[in-house]
Parts: sequence; structure tokens; C-alpha cells
Amino acid sequence: MVFNRSLLAKAALGPAAGAVLMAFMASGAIPAYQMYSVGLAAVYTIVVLSVGLLAGWSGIWSVGHPAFFAIGAYFAAYGSGHDWTLETVVLGAVATGALLGGFIGYAGARFSVLYIALLTLAFTTVTLELINRWSSVTGGDQGVPVLQLRSVLGLGTVLGGGTDAQYLAVGAAAVVLGLAVPASASGLRMRLVAAKSHPLAARTIGIAPEAQSALSFAVSGACTCFAGVLLGLLTGFVSPDPFSLTFGISLIAACVLGGVGTVVGAVAGGIYLTWNPSLSSAVGLPQPVVQGIVLIAVLLFLPGGVVPFLARPARALVRRLLRRPDARPAPAPEPSADPVPLRPASDGAVLLELEHLSVSYGGLKALEDASLTLRQDEILAVIGPNGAGKTTLLNALSGLTGNGRVSGTAQFAGRPLLGARATARRRLGIGRTFQHAEVFSELTVAENVLCTRRRVTARDRAEVMRLLHSVGLADVADRRPTELPFGLQKRLDLARAMAEEPKLLVLDEPFGGLDSAERALLAGHIRRLHAAGTAVIVIDHVLDDLFSVAHRVIAFDFGRTIGGGTPDTVLQDPKVRSSYLGTVGNRAQLPEHVGEQSMLRLRGVGHVYGGVTALRGVDLDVRKGVVLGIAGANGAGKSTLAGILHGSLKPAHGDRETGGGVRTSLAPEGRALFKTLTLRENLEVAAYAAGITGAPLRERLTETVEWLPPRLRDRLNASAAGLSGGEQQMLAIARALIVRPDVLIVDEPALGLAPALVDEVYDRLVRLAHDGLTVVLLEQLLSRALSVCHEVAVLHEGVVAAHGRPGDPDFAALAEAAYFSGGLEAAATATTAATAARAPQVN
Amino acid sequence: MSQFLLVLVSGVASGAVYGLMGLGLVIIYRATDVVNFAMASLATLGLYVAVSLHDRGVATVLGILAAVAITVAAGLLVRETVIRPLGQGQLFSALVVTMGVSLVLESLAGSIWGDQPKAFPNLVDGTVRWSGAAVPVQSLVTIAVAAVAMGLVGYLFARTTLGSAMRAVAESADTARIVGLGAQRIARLSWALGLGLAALAACLYAPRSGLVPTALVAPLFRAFAGIFLGGLTSMYGAVIGGLTIGVLDNLAANYVSASFRDTFVFSFTVLVLLIRPQGMFGTRTFQRV
Repeated sequence: MVFNRSLLAKAALGPAAGAVLMAFMASGAIPAYQMYSVGLAAVYTIVVLSVGLLAGWSGIWSVGHPAFFAIGAYFAAYGSGHDWTLETVVLGAVATGALLGGFIGYAGARFSVLYIALLTLAFTTVTLELINRWSSVTGGDQGVPVLQLRSVLGLGTVLGGGTDAQYLAVGAAAVVLGLAVPASASGLRMRLVAAKSHPLAARTIGIAPEAQSALSFAVSGACTCFAGVLLGLLTGFVSPDPFSLTFGISLIAACVLGGVGTVVGAVAGGIYLTWNPSLSSAVGLPQPVVQGIVLIAVLLFLPGGVVPFLARPARALVRRLLRRPDARPAPAPEPSADPVPLRPASDGAVLLELEHLSVSYGGLKALEDASLTLRQDEILAVIGPNGAGKTTLLNALSGLTGNGRVSGTAQFAGRPLLGARATARRRLGIGRTFQHAEVFSELTVAENVLCTRRRVTARDRAEVMRLLHSVGLADVADRRPTELPFGLQKRLDLARAMAEEPKLLVLDEPFGGLDSAERALLAGHIRRLHAAGTAVIVIDHVLDDLFSVAHRVIAFDFGRTIGGGTPDTVLQDPKVRSSYLGTVGNRAQLPEHVGEQSMLRLRGVGHVYGGVTALRGVDLDVRKGVVLGIAGANGAGKSTLAGILHGSLKPAHGDRETGGGVRTSLAPEGRALFKTLTLRENLEVAAYAAGITGAPLRERLTETVEWLPPRLRDRLNASAAGLSGGEQQMLAIARALIVRPDVLIVDEPALGLAPALVDEVYDRLVRLAHDGLTVVLLEQLLSRALSVCHEVAVLHEGVVAAHGRPGDPDFAALAEAAYFSGGLEAAATATTAATAARAPQVN
Repeated sequence: MSQFLLVLVSGVASGAVYGLMGLGLVIIYRATDVVNFAMASLATLGLYVAVSLHDRGVATVLGILAAVAITVAAGLLVRETVIRPLGQGQLFSALVVTMGVSLVLESLAGSIWGDQPKAFPNLVDGTVRWSGAAVPVQSLVTIAVAAVAMGLVGYLFARTTLGSAMRAVAESADTARIVGLGAQRIARLSWALGLGLAALAACLYAPRSGLVPTALVAPLFRAFAGIFLGGLTSMYGAVIGGLTIGVLDNLAANYVSASFRDTFVFSFTVLVLLIRPQGMFGTRTFQRV
């Protein structure tokens, strides 16, 4: 925690306001009948703060706080009846609240928000029942008085229902607020929010979500029990009435109204709760109706809460008055991409050694028998087509294999790795990044990196700023990552992984989704990291950039290692080459004649996902009877294009025209069958969706079932989950056919299939073409696209880089260059760049 | 023995009610990701309408049909006005909004029909003697009606194309969109079905409890316990969980302590969940990066 001056001033605001309020109370400026309400507002403020910060920082919505509140109040009643001191009562209540809260938080960490809400609801129900029935202690629905509590620390004797209790409540609320402000600038809050916004990513930086939620629930429960004691003293009498479930719902309303996770919002919420009865009588509606309407209205129209809503314009006004420079626009990527040469790997000690590492999920072997060694001073690139097991390898290294079964051995820096939990691997010295830059969206850029530390000191802040500066994020340190372009989010992900100077950095597709300038910059970072002594394992599909930073490459397919070598030689390995390009010999016999009539046309189509360009300026004309292949590596934009051609995805730019009444049908990537439905139901549902019912549906079903291979025809009532990959693909195509489409779009039908099955699927697609169907085929393997299509368009980074007929003698070479690097010229420059970057290694 | 038989029959009858309500909750949750806390207070509206009709001499069965119709209509209105504007995937906000709706409705019911308990008519009066116990016919009718309703729901989901479509949307809204299923239509149908079941369950429950604005809160909570036990997304789980809770609840009330029945039921549920977080029939999800 850093106590700079502004934070101290803010933290003093709560106690100062409390002191002023108490002075007012003492001076008699507040009428006697309002004194009780002021005290009550103070108590409610503590409860709303407990519920709101728990929700805002840990993402746990508790409906169980009325129970904690009640426990505290009954502690006060029991203590006053048994002559306990004030301090004993408070300590007892706080300890009970912390224990119960800690248990609920720990047990609740594995449940979703919804489950915790309903579990805490059960907690309230049970506690209320106990209170109502355990009358020997609680007085049942008659209630018990709180006469007085004597303090041993010199606070005197606090009479239940007296003015002392009102001062005590205001003072306590002031102290709690005063503590909450520095807590919201602390590393603790950052770690809580990190665990909430991305539990998996949090594990990779050593934060255990269970521990975090147990801790925050314990603190929240303890505070609420403390508030309960104050309530008991304030009212002088405790009965079950105030602790109803309705109160739990009102608490949530108060939190949302004030602004979840803000300290000032809690004060607003406490005030709302206190004066809600007056508000209801003022508008002449029953209290629950007002509460319900306020709750619904706030969630619908002001989900952020009133305080943040008002604070934004207020802050802007203050900023203008103080004439401070406004928030800067997002800076352009740093131009400091001076080509750092890749330092050669020395023959350092072995850092990581994997032997026969396998990971399986149920029956699926995602990684099989992988073995590799990595030296201390080396960058290893891992390549392979989609589904080859690359990400599983990284997940095994960082301990994120979930419920997969892991076997084999792994030694990291001389220690066994596989037994260590994900949270412990950070301490061992492994950092990782994610394919989609899984940053903590609710923390600022600086906090995303700071949260790797348990306690944040001023030196930590300076160090983190230096780190952010080195990756070009210093200017946006106070912004939320969601406001930044994807490229900067990826840099942030990298910075977070680098924060504690790991010995090994594991990078999952760092180049994916970046433009060429950003990729060059990133490659520079990786080389610099290596120069600073970090070993790196990196996987990617963007081979040029990948090879420009690698000393060694190994290739995976079907979960196994299939080859390896240096960046210059690895693609000459026929096995590696064919895993990308395929080895399809014979050209399929396609129908000779392709019509001239245009079925479907795209003009200047582009698409963007959250700042990432997936497609750019695509023009395509799908003519009647054609088999059009669209080939491209993983991430080239194929599935986006498939969705746009199908019409289920609306392009961000450009037009899609169909030749009047053309029906398109999509067999999506990964099949996307309804696995809980039977084969028959899968087909029926598709027909039903197209508005076909009754006799026509049965007719279509018979017709489509005829098309299926016999081994599927016999299993129509089996569930689709039991089908093999190839069978699922057949069913997915059949499902697309049942609506009698004019254009059939098939997205990566061969993905994950054994070669024989692939042949069968393609055979059937070609036969469909002979029957006059227009087919668009999206395919990862270029050679396969070339062998079964009339026309092939090669997609590279969202752009059609080549378009032609496989029959043309020059087209194969052109298409290959386009596939790997966007074109012949581009390939030439990229190779030169890569060679330049690797130059010192040659020496 | 005859005492035990009575407790068991009454337990199964309560369980049938919890199971029906739970089934309604699960159907709505699967289709729209909304845990409908307002289901009980919406069904209470229906009950009051049924009682009012009964007081004017309308046949009980017609009253029950009216209750179902009113509950469904009010529920659809709630969904269109305050749930849909929240947008997709707002699980917690949607739950809290339905809590707000239930606050408003309970209070409204109280101001229209009063907070004094009203009697709700039995479908059938009398008892039958069965191995020495006088079993109320109403309990047997409750079990029979619930069984028929569950059977019909089972038929709808397992045997009809519409049911397949509803299961398809529940499994994957994204794939359903690609195939072209109209999600809104399925969502409305699911709400109507779920609320209809809840209203029916309410009509079976109310004769025993009497009718006050909060009459259905207790069975709603037990239905929640039932669906947690069974797994939030499983329709079988809702029914079996509801039955388990009903039987446990009655056993606990008769043989342990009538005062601590909820404590017993919820502690049991929480214990089961600590061992199997996904419930008995739920599926475990794993987040992939």
C-alpha cells in the first residue's frame, strides 16, 4: 500500500465527516427524532459497504448478509444479558462472522455467481429459522432487549437505545470508511478483482481464487456482524423482524443504487435504506413496492449506480476547473522497433525437460507422449495445425489442464513440475501469456501488472512503470485494458507475464491478431527478453514472425511430435510440410460444367471483432454449380467468411447479395451438433427452424436419412454425442442439407478426422456437386482445397491473397506463397527480414 | 407403520409440488438463463384469482385453469417489460430483477386481497384407508396430477419436434442461431410452460397451506433446494431433487423436529453440493483458454 498524500487525504475524509457529524449531533442541530436515523444510516452504511465491496471486488453477490447482521445483533443481546463487556461482544461477533464468512467464501469459490447467491439465500433462511425457534437464547419472535454493554477500554457503559450508541455507530462507520479507502488502493483489492475478472489468468500469476474469496467474505461477514452489534445497541431491542429476506434484497438494491464497489456509493446506499420508509410514505406506496421499483429501475437504467454516474461529470468539471491536461488519446504504437538481432543460444544448462508427457480429456488424447528439452538460453517455437495439441502443451506447463489426466514427467530447473499447482508455478519461475490476451478487464493497465505483488510499495510502482514504459504502455497506465486496441492488450498480457522476471516465458500465439508493425515490435520484445536471459517457448501460426525469433522449432500434429529442426530447415521436413499443406495426390472428378449464374456475391466485405480485423475487402462471386474452395491457415478469417456467406453473420463493411430466393446452409466448424439430441432430432430441429413441419418434415427426413451412410441410418435414435468425428461431420452436412439449400457452406470438414474419413467426407461433397449443388468449402489444407475445388481463393490475414483455378500450372506456387505469407513478393521481403534478424546466428 | 406411510405419502405429495415448481424453474433457466424468483409471487396472483372465482361459485377446475392462464400472462408481461431489456447473459441482474418483481407483486397482492389467510379449496375431499392409515385423497390427487403433468412435459421434450428445438436452444443458443431457430419464440414458450407448471403446483399446494401473499415462498425455496440437489440444468434432476426434498422435509418434520425442517433440508443440500458442486445430475463445465 502506498500512502501518498492524496490517498491519505481521501482516507481522512471518512473520519473527518464522522467527526463533523458528531459535532452536529452534540450541538443539537440535528433534531432528537432524527438522531436515531442518523445512527441507523451509519450502521447501514457499514452493511452496504460490506455487501457492495464483496460484490464489486470479489464478484460474490450475497443474499446472506441479513443473517450476519442478525448474528451480530443477537451477540449484543446475549452479551448484555450475561454481563459480557462491549469488547468481548464485538470480538465474539467479529470472529463468528469471519469464520462463517470464510467458510462460505471458500466453499463458494467453486460455484457461479448464481449458485452463491442462492446458497447464501439458504444461509439466511436457515439462520432465520434458528433465530425464530431457538427462543431460549433469542426470545423467538418476542425478541430480547439489549440493556447495556460496559466497555473495559474506557468507552464507558453504552446503554441500549441511548445516545451513546448513536455516537458509537457514527464513529464506527467513520473508522470503517477510513479503512476502506486505503484498502481500495491496495494490492489486496487488485488481487481480489483479478481473481474475480479472470480466475484462470489469475492462477497463472500466483493468485488462488478460493483463498481470495474466502478472505473477502470473511472480512465482509465480520464487518456485518460488527454492524449487527451496533444495531442491537442502537435499537436496544432485537427481534427477527429486521433481518428478513426482503432486507437482503433491499441491501442489494442499496448497493446497486449507490454504485457497486465504491465507498461513497455505500454511504448513499445506507442513507437510502434508512430513509426508504419515509420515501415510501411520501409517495404513498407500500414500502416493498417502492423498493422493488427502485431496484428494477436502477438495474435497467443505471446499472452502474448513482454515485459513479454523478461522479463522472463532477470529475470532468473539477478537471476543467483545475485546468489539468485531459486524458490523452491512445498513443500510436512506439516507433522504437529498432531491429534487435536474435542472440544465438549458448549451450546453457537444461532448464526444462519433458518426457512422455500426455494429457487426455475423457477419451480424447489432446497431447500424446511429448518429449522436449529446453536450455536456459533458448527460444523454442512449437508449430502445428489446429488441434495438434500445442495449447494443451502450454496448459500442461502452466498447470491449467483442468480435469484432464496428465501423465509423464517434467523437470523444471531441476524440480518436478507436474505436481505443482498452477498458482505455485509462477513462484517456480514460469510466466505465460494467452492467445486472446486474457487481461483483467476491471483493473487499470498498471494494476494489471501490480497485482502480481502481494503488497504494493512505492518501489514496486516505479518498477512496474519502467516495465510498462519498456513495452510502450506507460502513457495508458491508468486506462482500462478494454479501452485499448487488441495489440496493446497483448503487450499488457506480456508485461504481466514478465513482471516477476520469470526464468521461462510461455507465449500462446503472441502474433495472432496483430498487424505487421505490431508483430515486428513484439518480435523485438521477445528478442530483448531473450537477451536479458529468459528462456521462451512460443507457439503460433504466423510462421515468418515465429521463425524470426526462434532458435529451434518442433512440430506437432494429432497430439504428437512429428518433427523438428532450425527455422530454416523445419519446413523442408516432408512430414511437417504435409501437416500444413496435406498430401492429396489424385484430383477429384468434378462436374465439368459450371454455370454463369451468380448465386451469392460479396463486395468489399470486411469484419472486425472488438478491434481485431478479421476480414478486409473481400470480393467473391459464388456461381451456380461451382465447388469453391477457400483455403487459409488458422486465424486467416475463414470461419468469419463462412458466417458472412451463410448470412448468419452481418459484415461490418461491404455487401452480400444473393440472386433472389437463394437458400444457404452452413455446416459450421467443429460440427456444432446438438450433442444432447439424437441424430433424428438434430435433423428435425434444423427442418423445424426453416419452418418445415408435419408431413413435409417427415418426407424431408426420409430423403435426408437416405443420404446418410448406412452405419448412421441404423442409429437415428442414438445421441449425437456418441458419434465419432467423421460421423458427426456427415450428420452436420446432412443437417445442412435437410433444408434443401441452393448453396452449401462447409467449414473445415476435415478438422480432427482420420485420413480415411476425410476421403469419405470429401467424396460425398463431390457427389453433391455432381447432383448440381453449389458448394463453398473452407479448408485449412491448401493441397486438399486444390484437389477438390473448381476454384480456390487463398485467405491470408483476412485478405484474399490469391484466387485462381487449380488447373492453371502456375497457380499452385502462387497459392502456396499466398498461404504462408500473403503473396510471392511479401514472402520475399518477409524471408529477407527473417534472415536479417537471424543474421548473427549464422556467424 | 401407518404413521410412516402417511408421512411418506405426504412427503411424496409435497415433493411432487416442489418437483413441478423446480421443473418450471429449470425450463425457464435453460431457455433464457433467468432464475425466476418471481415465479412464486406470479403464481400467487393466479391463486387469488382462482379463489375469487371459487367464491363466486365457479368450479374449482375452471378456477385452476384461470390461475394458470393469469400466471402465464403476467409472467410473459414481466419478461417482455423488465427482463428482456436487460439483454443476454445478465444472470445475476435478471435474478435480482425477478426478486424486485416479487417484492412488488407480494405487496400488491396484500393490498388487493388482504393479508388474512384465505382457504383454498381442495380438488377432492376425504380420505382412503390404506394399510391402516387414513390417506387424504387430495395427497393422492396431487401426486397423480403432478405425475401426469411431468409425463406430458416429458412427452413434449422427448417426443415432439418443438421439444427437441427447446432442448437444442438450451444446449447451445449459438448453434441454434446458426441453424436458424427463433430464440425469442422458444424463450416465450419456455416461460409460458414454466409458469404454467408453477401455477399448477401452487394450486396443488395451496389447499394445505392456506393462501396469504407469501404462501408460496416456502415451496419456492424448497424447489430451489431441489434443483440445486438435482443440478440447475437437469429436468430429471429438478423432479428427483424436489421429491427428495419433499420426503426429507416431511421425515425431518415428523421424526427430527418440526421447528427445524428448513435447517435440516438446506444443510443436507449444502452438504451434497460440497461433495458434488454440480448437483446429482448437472454437468460440470471447464473453462478453456
